[in-house]
Amino acid sequence: MTRTQDRLFWLEERQLAPRWSTAVSGLVNLAALIVAVAIVWWVFFSIEGIFKLYTPLLGFSMVIWTLLIILWQAQLFDFWPLSRGFLENAHPLSKGAVLTLITIAVYLLLLFGIVWFIIGRLGITYFNWQSLAKYGELGQDMLSTRETASWAMLCLSIPFFLVGVWFMLGIGKDLFHELGQPKFGLANWLFVAVIAIPMYVIFFHPHLGSMFYPKQIYAAVPPWWESIAQTNSAEYTVGILFCSVIGVFLALNLWDGWPFDLVGRQPWRFFYFALCSLVIGYVIFRIQLYIFDYLWYEAYVGGQNEANFGWRYSHTVTMANFVLVIAIIQNTFFGPAYEKMNRIVGSIIKTVVAIILGLCFAWAYYNWGPTLLGVTEGVSHPSENASAFLILIINIVMIQDLFMDRWPGYQLKK
Amino acid sequence: MDRRNFLKRLAATGTGIALSGTVGTLSKAHAAKGGKEDFGEIKSLKVHCISETSWFDNATLGKDIKAAGGINTNQYDVAYTEENLGGYAALVEVEALDGSKKKYLLDTGWSNDWVDYVFAKDGIDKMLQSKEIDTLFISHDHIDHYFGIESTLKHQPDIKIYFPGTSMPKSFELLKGADFSATPGCPKNSVPHTGELVVTTPDKLYKIQDGMALKFFDCPATLQVRGENVLYFKIKDKGYVTVTGCCHPGILTLLSHARRNFKDGNKNYGCYGGLHISVFENWDPKFDDIIKGVKSFNMQKIGCNHCTGWIWAEKAEQSGLPIVHGTDKNLSYKKVGSLSRAKTSNVYLGNGDEMVF
Ligand SMILES: [Fe+2]
Ligand SMILES: [Fe+2]
Repeated sequence: MTRTQDRLFWLEERQLAPRWSTAVSGLVNLAALIVAVAIVWWVFFSIEGIFKLYTPLLGFSMVIWTLLIILWQAQLFDFWPLSRGFLENAHPLSKGAVLTLITIAVYLLLLFGIVWFIIGRLGITYFNWQSLAKYGELGQDMLSTRETASWAMLCLSIPFFLVGVWFMLGIGKDLFHELGQPKFGLANWLFVAVIAIPMYVIFFHPHLGSMFYPKQIYAAVPPWWESIAQTNSAEYTVGILFCSVIGVFLALNLWDGWPFDLVGRQPWRFFYFALCSLVIGYVIFRIQLYIFDYLWYEAYVGGQNEANFGWRYSHTVTMANFVLVIAIIQNTFFGPAYEKMNRIVGSIIKTVVAIILGLCFAWAYYNWGPTLLGVTEGVSHPSENASAFLILIINIVMIQDLFMDRWPGYQLKK
Repeated sequence: MDRRNFLKRLAATGTGIALSGTVGTLSKAHAAKGGKEDFGEIKSLKVHCISETSWFDNATLGKDIKAAGGINTNQYDVAYTEENLGGYAALVEVEALDGSKKKYLLDTGWSNDWVDYVFAKDGIDKMLQSKEIDTLFISHDHIDHYFGIESTLKHQPDIKIYFPGTSMPKSFELLKGADFSATPGCPKNSVPHTGELVVTTPDKLYKIQDGMALKFFDCPATLQVRGENVLYFKIKDKGYVTVTGCCHPGILTLLSHARRNFKDGNKNYGCYGGLHISVFENWDPKFDDIIKGVKSFNMQKIGCNHCTGWIWAEKAEQSGLPIVHGTDKNLSYKKVGSLSRAKTSNVYLGNGDEMVF
C-alpha cells in the first residue's frame, strides 16, 4: 500500500474544465442543482412531501452529518475504498450514485447504529427518542423527544465539524503521512474524535442536561455560559463555533484560503489555523449581533422571537449560511470567471457578490419559502431553521463537485 | 441602551436627520416614545376559568400532530383524536371605577361537545342569550381557542367579535359558516356571524372601555397560525394586568410593551392565562431564562394555566415567583386532563377557578 505522502489525493490530482463557456457551464450546473434540491427537499424534507423529515431539527441534524461524511470521504479517506481507475473512468452519475450510497450507509451506521441505537439505548438517554420516552415521564412524548434527540445529534456534529476542518485543512497530510488508506483517514478521524468529544461535553452537554425537569445537575453542570451569553441555551456556543466553520469555508471560497495560508510550518500552522477560525467566527458572530440590535432593538433575558438572545445567536449562523451558499456556488460553478483577475480584486468582487446575493437569497427564502418549500412563515419562528435548507444545498453542491466532477457543466481533463 | 443609542446616533448623523440629540429613528419599537398611552383605569378585574384544558392528554395530541407531519403542519390538515379535545375559554368581568360591571368572553374553545358542557356549567349560554355578554375576543385562531365558535354563535349570532387580522383564510370562512369537519377534530359552523367584526392589526391599540384595551401582536405560533390579541387592564393603585389566550408573543414581550408604551408602564401587577412556554411539558434551557426575565418585573400575582406548561409554573414558583394556586374543582368535571389526574401540584388555575385582581 502506498504511503499517503507519496501520492496526490484524487482532489489534488483531478483537473476539471468547463464543458462549454464558463457562463453556460455554470448556469447548466445551477439549473441541475435547483432541480436536484427541489426533488430532494420535496421527497425527504417538506412537510407536504413523503418523509417529512424537516421537523425541523431532525432534518437539520441529518443534512449536517451527511455533509460531514461527504467531506471525510473526500478529504480524509481520499475516496477509499474506490480505486483510482474507477474515479478516473466511471461516469459521473455512477460515481455520484456509489459515493452517495456510501454516505448514506455511513450516516445510518454511525448516527442511527452507534449514536442512536447503541449509545442512546445503553449509554446516554437523550440520544434516542425512544429511550427518552421510555425513561422520561412527564412530557417525554414522541413529538418533543424526537426534537430533543435531534438537537443532541446536531450539537454533536458541531465540534466534529470544526475540529474536522482544522484537521482536513489545517493539517492535511502533515500527520500520519506514512500510513496508506484507510489507515490514514482512520487515524486522523480518531484524532478528531478525541478532541471533538470533550468539546461536545463542555460546550453542549450542559444544555442537554438542562432540558429536563428536574435539571440533571449531577450529570451535567448547569450552562456555565449563562452570565456571558444572557441565556442558558447552547445556541451561544452553536453560534460561535458554527460561524467559525463557516468562516473557514468563506475564506476558501472567497479569498482563496487567505488568511489561513499565512503560516506554513507545522505545528504552528495547525494552531494558527484553529485560532484564526475562532477569531473569524467570532467576528462574523459579533458583527451580525450588532446589526440585529439595530434592526430589532436590544434582546432581553427571556424575550421571545427576535428579542431572544438564543434565537439571535443561531440566526447569525443562518444568515452566514445564506452568504456561504452563494459563495460556494459562485466559486464551484463560476470560479474560472475570476481566474484571470488580480487575486485581490477578484476576492473583493466575489465577497461583494456573495453578500449581496446572499441577502437577496435570504429575502427570497423568507418571502417565498412558505409557498415554494412549505416552511413556516416568519423569520424568527421557533420551529423554523433555514440552515437545514441551506446545508442541504451545500450537500448537493458537494456531491456534484467532489463526487461527480461538477457534472454536467464540467468534465475531467484527461 | 447605550449601544443602541450609539448606533442610532451613528445612523442619524450619517443620514443627517439628527434633531437635538433625540433622534427621528428608523425603529418601529421607538414610535411611541413621543407620548405614552393612557387608556384609563378600572377598579378591579375578575377572571373566571371556563376551561383551560384544550386537550386532555398531551401525548395523544402530540401523536396526532406528528402523524400529520409535525408542528408546522396546517392546523386544518391534522386529524385529531376527537375524544381528546376540550378548549380554552375565559370569562372576564371588569369593575369600572364607578362600580359598574361588564362581562366579556375571551375565546370559544374547540370541541363543541365540551364547550357546550362548560358553558352550561357556568351559565355562559344564558349570559350570551341575554346579551349580558355582548363581546367575544378571539385571541387567535388556533384549534383550541377558535374551532368551537359555533357554541358561542348559536346563542348570539350577532355578538361583536375582535378577530386577529392574521387569521387563516379558512378561519375567516368558518366565521361566515363553513364545514371542515370531514377531517376529525376540525370545525364546522352552521350559524354565520352577523354582528360587528373588528379585524385587529398591529398598528393600533383598541380601547374597549376605560382601563381596558386590546393589543394585537403579530408573532409566530405553531400549526401555521400567526398573531394574537392580548387584553391589557390598568387597575387603580395596583398596575397593569394582562389576560391572554396562549400568549404566543411571549409574556416578556407584553411586559416590555407596557413598559415602553403605556403610562406608568413599569408597574406590572399580574397576569392570567396561557403563557405558552413548556406546552408539551418538555423543557428547554430558554425557559429558565423566562423565569429570570419575569422575576425582573416584580409582578404580584401570576395566574397561569393551559399552554404555560405545568413544569414552568412549578419551577417558577420554586424560584420565588408569585404563582396563584388553583383548586381541585376541575376534578369534578366530566373530563379531567391527564396532568391533573397525575396529582400534580395546583400551580395551575384549573377549570372553574377564579382569580381576582
Ligand atoms: Fe392554546
Ligand atoms: Fe395557541
